[in-house]
Amino acid sequence: MIEKITKRDGRVVDFDISKITNAIFKAAQALGGNDLEMAQSLAEQVIAYIENDLKIQNPTVEQIQDAVERTLIENGHARTAKEYILYRAERTRVRDMNTRLMKVYEDLTFKDASDNDIKRENANIDGDTAMGTMLKYGSEGAKQFYQMFVLDPKYSAAHAEGDIHIHDLDFLTLTTTCCQIDLIKLFKGGFSTGHGFLREPNDIQSYSALACIAIQSNQNDQHGGQSIPNFDYAMALGVKKTFRKLYIKNLAKACDILAGVENAEDTIKSMVTALENENGISPDLANSNAFDELLSPKLAELVGQENTQKAIVFSRSYSAKETDRATYQAMEALVHNLNTMHSRAGAQIPFSSINYGMDTSPEGRMVIRNVLLATDAGLGNGETPIFPIHIFKVKDGINYNPGEPNYDLFKLACKVSAKRLFPNFSFIDAPFNLQYYKPGDPNTEVAYMGCRTRVMANHYDPTREVVGGRGNLSFTSINLPRIAIKANHNVDFFFEELDRKLSLVTAQLMDRYKIQAAKKVRNYPFLMGQGIWLDSDKLKPDDEVGEVLKHGTLTVGFIGLAECLKALIGKHHGESQEAQNLGLDIIGFMRKRMDEATQKTGFNYSLIATPAEGLSGRFVRIDKQKFGVIPGVTDREYYTNSFHVPVYYEISAFDKIRLEAPYHALTNGGHISYIELDGDPLKNLDAFEAVVRCMKEAGIGYGSINHPVDRDPVCGYTGIIDEVCPRCGRRDGEAVSEELLKKLGVYTGNTETCGYCGDINEEHDRQMNTNTVDLSE
Amino acid sequence: MGTQEKMIGEGVKFERIRRITGYLVGTLDRFNNGKRAEERDRVKHSVQTGLEKL
Repeated sequence: MIEKITKRDGRVVDFDISKITNAIFKAAQALGGNDLEMAQSLAEQVIAYIENDLKIQNPTVEQIQDAVERTLIENGHARTAKEYILYRAERTRVRDMNTRLMKVYEDLTFKDASDNDIKRENANIDGDTAMGTMLKYGSEGAKQFYQMFVLDPKYSAAHAEGDIHIHDLDFLTLTTTCCQIDLIKLFKGGFSTGHGFLREPNDIQSYSALACIAIQSNQNDQHGGQSIPNFDYAMALGVKKTFRKLYIKNLAKACDILAGVENAEDTIKSMVTALENENGISPDLANSNAFDELLSPKLAELVGQENTQKAIVFSRSYSAKETDRATYQAMEALVHNLNTMHSRAGAQIPFSSINYGMDTSPEGRMVIRNVLLATDAGLGNGETPIFPIHIFKVKDGINYNPGEPNYDLFKLACKVSAKRLFPNFSFIDAPFNLQYYKPGDPNTEVAYMGCRTRVMANHYDPTREVVGGRGNLSFTSINLPRIAIKANHNVDFFFEELDRKLSLVTAQLMDRYKIQAAKKVRNYPFLMGQGIWLDSDKLKPDDEVGEVLKHGTLTVGFIGLAECLKALIGKHHGESQEAQNLGLDIIGFMRKRMDEATQKTGFNYSLIATPAEGLSGRFVRIDKQKFGVIPGVTDREYYTNSFHVPVYYEISAFDKIRLEAPYHALTNGGHISYIELDGDPLKNLDAFEAVVRCMKEAGIGYGSINHPVDRDPVCGYTGIIDEVCPRCGRRDGEAVSEELLKKLGVYTGNTETCGYCGDINEEHDRQMNTNTVDLSE
Repeated sequence: MGTQEKMIGEGVKFERIRRITGYLVGTLDRFNNGKRAEERDRVKHSVQTGLEKL
């Protein structure tokens, strides 16, 4: 008599014959059968077979299932047996999924990030923290659920196999990628974060604080990064308000001391306000005297002719200085906030980008200069800020050539980037960017988001080819080396297979859009509820967002053009002109297919040079398993980023830029090129600037320059550290004596582990720069 | 040594800021395996020649 059975996980449990009956009955039911007695009788035969023929007293689940199949077939129930086998396979699949998920959870729970690649999938999330791990449980569970129950199995299989990679799969049913926030529009009249209402800001400090809050709030409504496309223009309005306030305040002080005017501030304030209302101009930083001239006669009535000029000169001079100082502090606060404020349950800080460089007004210039100086100074202990990503927009006539209004700021941007890795540089004059540019309309200046995303063309609404309120909806990348390996040097087959993959991904993006489209405004209290997304201000809380989402982009990406070319013709595009030509054919073909999809569907399909946050190792790992180690293709731990010339390949900066530039024109969904500079670029700023200029001339859309930035927290040295710190001489992890730190002048005795908090040189810079008010230089 | 010298910084690591896939990261420790390998393989691009051609 069977009393116990052994389950798959090894547990021994009581035997229950009704479970066998039910399984058989369900299989029969699936074929239209309805004979429970027959199922019972078959179950009894199964038991008899196990006990009498197999002579097993304590069978395993597997043994029982085998016996069920055998018994069904022996009794002439072949179709039921087949159904039963299918049922069993499905159960096995679900169980495997569960087991795999539980295994993932086990690793997340008991392994440190240092031993667990999943915890390090995204370098900006600390996988070892409580909230970081919690986020991962959710993310991994969601991915498995969607693959089993939501995604069409053909997309699910292509993703699991590594033919394609559906980015941010854990957010498949939840939200969209990213957005370019128009701060000018948002701040007008104030806004609500979903947790409270904030009035329209009234000075530069609140402008910068609210900018951070806007980024933070929106980050929690989307799975990607947040970008401010018009940072200088938006903050300039705050500077204007601060200057006006200070102008009144300082004028009042002067009137008080020069002429003993009582209640001076109120008096001056009403005088200024009345003039503003009559004439439509306000006191501002510009050196035009228009407002001062209007004010003079009124002021003379109050303090006399002689004092009037004195008072105005006094107020102008102090107000300019104080506004500059306030702006620096506001920018410093912004950089500090964006490196410390939490998003996503505390596991991250918001992924933020700010674009600037084009505003030539005195206020805009003050913003640009000070945000650069604050970045140059670094964080509290002189650390290099990780966020925001700064993007300096370069343009002829604005800031590129000597004598142009913001040329000094371009030079400063190069200097700061040579020290802090930011800003990156975007090029408004690249033909594919310039075609959208309308002088005087910042909303037509191309902006970049996060690591490279670009959203500009708008086939859905050609009258709205603007940056504000738009972003990417979702993107999926294609494994180019895989297709090339399979093509086995047959280029025609390669293009046919690529074409099929493009069709697959185009359809998958549309499926995902349909899920997103059914969401309601109230699912995105900030993004849609506060009208950040273009046209969402026309919707009510229970309206679906599908229509307004059409302003966004559906984007196909790609990984490993270099390895793809190696597999196809034995050389990558850095090595031969033939490979470069083929590379351009491939990416050009992909772009053409996106344009066709756009024409056909009316949606904004675009092509992105994928950043590969979590993907740099995944595709090659799978391909190595499938195809083995192929030299130049699968022999490293990563596939090369998008269209880049491989990082290991010796090539001059000039050639790298020249070869990569044409791909920028093709990848309308985003792109970036990097140059790696040797040594400390601060010591060779000319070379640094030459690289930036070369990028512009070559037609690059977005580029940046990499160089090592190391820091020793003990003595505060920032620069290049090989094995030994050049300042205090310690090695990684070693201690140095307090005496030595004192001798170096870098000891403050503040903490146990850090001799000096802050960098000597940086602090010199900081003091020098905050006092700079001359905006005409 | 007569008096015990006070030592500072035991176990404190150098910070190495790198840009990979567009974002800066404060420490190589948080890179996944693929990214670590990519960072390790990078070679510098010479600026000695060519730039003036444009």
